[in-house]
Amino acid sequence: MAEPAWLLAKRSATAALLSITLTDIVGNIARTHGDSMQPTLQPGEKNLLGFLKGDIVFFEKISAAAYKYHRGDVVVLRSPSDPNQWMIKRLIAMQGDWINVPGSYEILQIPKGRCWVEGDGGNISLDSRTFGALPLGLVQGRVTHKIWPPHRFGRVERVFPKGRVMLDDEV
Amino acid sequence: MAEPLWFLAKRSAAAAMICITFTDIVGNFATIQGNSMQPTLQQGHKDFISLLKGDVVFYEKISAPAYKYCRGDVVVLRSPTDPDQLMVKRLIAMQGDWVNVPGSHEIHQIPKGRCWVEGDNGNLSLDSRNFGPIPLGLVKGRVTIKVWPPHRIGRVERVLPEGQVMFTDIT
Repeated sequence: MAEPAWLLAKRSATAALLSITLTDIVGNIARTHGDSMQPTLQPGEKNLLGFLKGDIVFFEKISAAAYKYHRGDVVVLRSPSDPNQWMIKRLIAMQGDWINVPGSYEILQIPKGRCWVEGDGGNISLDSRTFGALPLGLVQGRVTHKIWPPHRFGRVERVFPKGRVMLDDEV
Repeated sequence: MAEPLWFLAKRSAAAAMICITFTDIVGNFATIQGNSMQPTLQQGHKDFISLLKGDVVFYEKISAPAYKYCRGDVVVLRSPTDPDQLMVKRLIAMQGDWVNVPGSHEIHQIPKGRCWVEGDNGNLSLDSRNFGPIPLGLVKGRVTIKVWPPHRIGRVERVLPEGQVMFTDIT
């Protein structure tokens, strides 16, 4: 009589281990809040099915291990001002690049090991224009697809930010 | 004839998943390189034989999801200057605290979501005195015990740094 219970326990444990391993190494899904990545990602309005509102994206962590990100990738990262919050922003510049801070005439060079992220939504986005270049160690993965809602299903493209970034050898 | 092979494959996959899940959720081991945490932790050198003489520590990740770290804990973090590197430093101050930068008369308030880390060996350590306060999101776990070499096995204690930190409710 104990056998089916044991089998269920084993199967559940295997399923749990498999999920944890996959979400740790391969990737995970995340739901968008807020407008900072419009129009690329939409937050959706609140409704009874609250958990289904807002674009749901898949982000992969396979590039994460080697930090092989490219300028223009949309990435998931931990917020520097609240480690329990996650943010989705676009990677604009990498270490060594020179970037023009919007709204001023200064250009900054991104220090070693850091990167500059911005939301596509412009002024409403809280990003590197507010808290500066961020350590790459905060980036958790790269968004590859929108998987919900169905009419917005598709790839999230890498969009190279033209006219914003000067690579080190161009300065 | 295929059966023992399949069995081996299943067992290996299960073992791999258990290890990955354990190191992701519970904790992991790290070998110490560099002298920045002397005398608390001693390094091994890069050639294989001497590596066996360096301290090996266990760091737990159970505090990590809630970021329940305390001032004085020894923590493992991703370097803000090189995301491929892990560093081991002591947590000196948390958000809102005022820190006196050693060797100068300035005091800084640690911004929200960030912390100040320093190595116990002041002279050799590259830490917040060089790169400033770092986002708590970079901290990966808390060092609890030294597991190697045998004569140095023991707990790694939380040591509150005296005279260096002013907490927000005091100033």
